[in-house]
Amino acid sequence: MKKAISHVGKLSLNAIEEVGYAFMLLVESLEWFFLGKFRNQSVRLAHIFHEAMSIGVKAVPIASILCFSVGMMLALQGLETLKPYGAQSQVVTGIAVSVTREFSALIIGIIVAGRSGSAITARIGTMKESQEIDALRVIGINPVRYLAAPILIAMMLVLPLLTVIGDFLGMLGGAVYTSFELNMTVATYMNRSFEVLSINDVAQGVSKSIVFAIIIVLVSVSNGFKVTGGSEGVGRSTTRSVVLSISYIIVADMIFTFFLTR
Amino acid sequence: MNTAAQVENNLPHQVAPDVVIDVKNLVTHYDDKLILDDINFTVNKGEIMVIMGGSGSGKSTLLRFLLGLNTPTSGTVSLLGKDITQMSAQEMYEMRKQMGVAFQGGALFGSMTVAENTQLPLREHTRLDENTMRIMSRMKLEVVNLAGFEDLMPAQLSGGMIKRAALARAIIMDPKLLFFDEPSAGLDPVVAAELDELILRLRDAMNMSIVVVTHELDSAFKIADRITVLDRGKILMCGTVDEVRNSGNERIHNLLNRKPRQDAVDVDEYMGRLTGRNIKGSLPD
Amino acid sequence: MKYPVHEHGKFSVISLTGEVDLNCSPQAREQILKCLKKNNHLLIDLSAVEYIDSSGVASLVEGFQTARGQQLQFALLGVSKAALQVLQLARLDKVFPIYASIDDVDL
Repeated sequence: MKKAISHVGKLSLNAIEEVGYAFMLLVESLEWFFLGKFRNQSVRLAHIFHEAMSIGVKAVPIASILCFSVGMMLALQGLETLKPYGAQSQVVTGIAVSVTREFSALIIGIIVAGRSGSAITARIGTMKESQEIDALRVIGINPVRYLAAPILIAMMLVLPLLTVIGDFLGMLGGAVYTSFELNMTVATYMNRSFEVLSINDVAQGVSKSIVFAIIIVLVSVSNGFKVTGGSEGVGRSTTRSVVLSISYIIVADMIFTFFLTR
Repeated sequence: MNTAAQVENNLPHQVAPDVVIDVKNLVTHYDDKLILDDINFTVNKGEIMVIMGGSGSGKSTLLRFLLGLNTPTSGTVSLLGKDITQMSAQEMYEMRKQMGVAFQGGALFGSMTVAENTQLPLREHTRLDENTMRIMSRMKLEVVNLAGFEDLMPAQLSGGMIKRAALARAIIMDPKLLFFDEPSAGLDPVVAAELDELILRLRDAMNMSIVVVTHELDSAFKIADRITVLDRGKILMCGTVDEVRNSGNERIHNLLNRKPRQDAVDVDEYMGRLTGRNIKGSLPD
Repeated sequence: MKYPVHEHGKFSVISLTGEVDLNCSPQAREQILKCLKKNNHLLIDLSAVEYIDSSGVASLVEGFQTARGQQLQFALLGVSKAALQVLQLARLDKVFPIYASIDDVDL
């Protein structure tokens, strides 16, 4: 019994420590980004660009396909549910709003967490295990500035962009399916969608995606820096990082939506 | 064999040895476990100090504290007259320019070529011309016999080449202090001997002060001016090669003769460890 | 800080002084390349150098190669023992023409 309590205690201490560490990472990364040049140790734009390419541009095809499919799926379900009420045309509004506010950001967050989050943890973890992080430090290069800050900035730039692309493709997916079912061209559908959408809907999704970006980076980077135990440890941390960031994203999304829809 | 200390040159340290590394009462813990217990030693300018010990002796840990990678429980580590345990990040940044480190596995950055690896410290700390940096890194690669390999990636190098490339990166800024972790571990004897030669040449030509951590006896005896022998977190002895070799200390003798460690057996503790239960019958934590 | 230059026969002589390290070598490099641009044969006097690091040597190397490209003479003077050891490390003592003093140079 005692043991169980002490175990719970230890777990909660670890959890608090992890949150604290992640928060420190966030503050330090932003500090380096904004103040680095005054210390003659700036965050290199080339690094940010490089990260943005590997996180963002290379994720465009898969993200597009998924958002398109989700849009189509929503149309399918929506038309099916609304048919008894004869309100099929409402499907346009439903898809436009739910994709921009919710699904696009969520899908993008999850796919990027899986794609890049795991890669980031694996890369940093491997660097830690091979003493490359130590090597950076003895050269005088702060690892947070050199590794974490560019990823954070890149992710915060790229995820909103991907989300906007996802918005468009989600609606397009809905349009393609709906155009078969209802007597409506893809163009008309899209025009109707843009009419019903407000800037608020898009902003909601985009602001979520920024939060997701921060979650993905903090979780994956901190798990990378904390790797111990060789390549097995890297594997363990990578899995942990993906599972955690996806879970946090979904929970954060729920909290976010709760407050935004009230 | 100990010719290194007597190499004929007119370096200032032989007039008045001046201390470049000074470790005082260093005590460190990992969680609650005592790792290093009251470590004291100094390294003089132009000296090659070898830190020796078996695995688990704490020698690699000691190196981390010398490099300022970890913060000790108590005690001081002074490099070039300044205590690094009390330094600000900015002071440490300046200190880093004077230090070169070659890690055990090389720790080359896998995403960069050999040349980019060696140039990284220059890019970080200097505003030198691109040509100058390129020539400097080629010169250092020449010194470590890696000329012509500058465009290869670390993954394409052999173990010995990785260590030499790491050494080239460590000396690119002409540091006053050079730290080398296990230069000969995992290398065949010929390659290991070359690296030893290289360390001696570097000291002689550039008057570096060098700390080498190793468990290889031959290498230690060949390059050391003085040897510090660590055992289970304590300094067993610190002396010249001959002093260590002729020491009467049994542990050092065992280490030299590669005898396995024979600890006194505590029956209760040992049986408890093997069976997973101690005499009182409850499971050990 | 600018290093003193004087003319000696067909040669320009740049006298490096003090510590030629990461801070000072860019200046040395600039002056060397500038002299070579004027198509002057060049002597680098190292006798007043207390310490030269590899960035300094790299500047000499670049100068020497540039001079060779323009078929100009390039030599080092008064290389101290410490400087010689730095050169020897990269086997550059076998590459540079080295003279003890200016009197030994064929004018």
